[in-house]
Amino acid sequence: MFLKKTLFATLVIQLFCVVTLWAQTESTLAISGEVSVPLTLKKSDLAAFETISHKVKDRDGKEHEFKGVALFELLKKAGVSNGAQLRGENLVKYVLIQAADGYEVLYALPEIDPDFTDQIILLATEKDGKALENGEGPFRIITPNDKKQARWIREVRSIKVGFAKE
Amino acid sequence: MQQLRAWIRKQLPTDGLGFFVSVLMLSICSFALFIAAVNRNVPEPYPFKFPANFGNRFIIPADNPTTKEGVHLGRMLFYETKLSANNKMSCGTCHEQKLAFSDGRPVSLGVDNSFTKRNSMALVNLLWVRNFFWDGRSPSLETQAVFPLTDPHEMGQSLEVSVLKLSKTKNYPRLFEKAFGIPKISPQLIQNALAQFERTLISADSNYDRYLAGTYTPTERELRGMNLFMNPPSPERSLRGANCGHCHGGPKTFKELFHNNGIDSTFSDPGRKNFTGDSADNGRFRVPTLRNIALTAPYMHDGRFRTLEQVLDHYSDHVQESETLSTFLKGVSNEKNGSHLSLTGEEKVSIISFLHMLTDTTFINNPEFSNPHLFSKK
Repeated sequence: MFLKKTLFATLVIQLFCVVTLWAQTESTLAISGEVSVPLTLKKSDLAAFETISHKVKDRDGKEHEFKGVALFELLKKAGVSNGAQLRGENLVKYVLIQAADGYEVLYALPEIDPDFTDQIILLATEKDGKALENGEGPFRIITPNDKKQARWIREVRSIKVGFAKE
Repeated sequence: MQQLRAWIRKQLPTDGLGFFVSVLMLSICSFALFIAAVNRNVPEPYPFKFPANFGNRFIIPADNPTTKEGVHLGRMLFYETKLSANNKMSCGTCHEQKLAFSDGRPVSLGVDNSFTKRNSMALVNLLWVRNFFWDGRSPSLETQAVFPLTDPHEMGQSLEVSVLKLSKTKNYPRLFEKAFGIPKISPQLIQNALAQFERTLISADSNYDRYLAGTYTPTERELRGMNLFMNPPSPERSLRGANCGHCHGGPKTFKELFHNNGIDSTFSDPGRKNFTGDSADNGRFRVPTLRNIALTAPYMHDGRFRTLEQVLDHYSDHVQESETLSTFLKGVSNEKNGSHLSLTGEEKVSIISFLHMLTDTTFINNPEFSNPHLFSKK
């Protein structure tokens, strides 16, 4: 009995270690800067948000269906100024998005806000019904009205909201 | 006041003009003395010089502004062998100016006669770098310096010992006071001074810079190489290219990126993953600057390629697949449905001749970057 218990406990601890290790190596997305609640999100955390999809032409010239959540909703969750608050000095806030490889792009905050635009910028996690592949996912920005896809940044790791200081 | 005037009149010529001139001269002298006393310990800002197309996207920490005095001290420290455990090595040992501040070895030899893990990086245009080392683990030049100074396989000496050794010298307390206003040497001030000097290592006078400024006409081969370097291949439109500029482009030929460039399919050195803990970063390393690349052989994080020819052969024909291989190296080919870039021999030679355009002889001969201790011994 004792032996069984010991073996079981060992197994549980090992499982815990494996899960911890796995959790550490999973890619996460950090939202920080001018926010009231900094967030670190895993892919599974996005289930709490409404799923949205866009059918758009990618760099390969072919149409793909991207699924994910509205970038705006994530920023709202982090307490970024939005809607009626987007006035005065808040109009010079920017959103700097960084990828795993160091690539960076920038949006002005009003470009993402539904009071300013009908375009829904997506934080996509799926393409044509499949999870985004290595090198593209797990998170990618899709901005349908951008003709050039340079700001459709892949492998998003961090989103920083800041004030233009000039 | 009356008494003072009477006393002064006694001492000085009695006419009104003489009194006025004397008072004026006294005032000027005392004011000059006052200014001299106030200004004595204020270091002068260092004027950075670089072409406008390099841009101003860099941050100098507010608590370590670059000054002429700080840069001079940093240069003295960069070449200071007292900063190593055996008093024989300095930063300059593995970062030689004539090799654009690299050392010509695959990996470097430390004070304990063992080898470092990775290839000594060229120190060029660091002002624009935001994450240092092959894995980007260090967020500033100030924090970066601690690693090579204290690593037992590099200079192998704690900063506290370095502070003690420098404090005992005649020269250094005075130089620290000039640079930072206080004669007390500290680990942080050693780091600050080194960072200040390193920020000044700007290379911006290569033939490529001169070409961009309109004062150098490239040879036909250089021009062919430049076009191949910058353009992606497009066999459908019969356009040949090597797409190097995708990661190495821009006037600085540097972008702050980390990629797995396919030199291995399994990774004995996990590179950036060691720092981020993210398995998607396995085998990713810094995309280094190509400035002075012809001087900084051997190449890659472990110095495995001796020549630029081997590097070009790799990208052209030997990129290896793996889970984290850069997407920019996948399926990029000069042949329809080709799996490799497949450059011709002549194309590789042309690209290498363009890479030689990035050599900056002004930079490697700039006396402001040379060993000041050698100079003073002469």
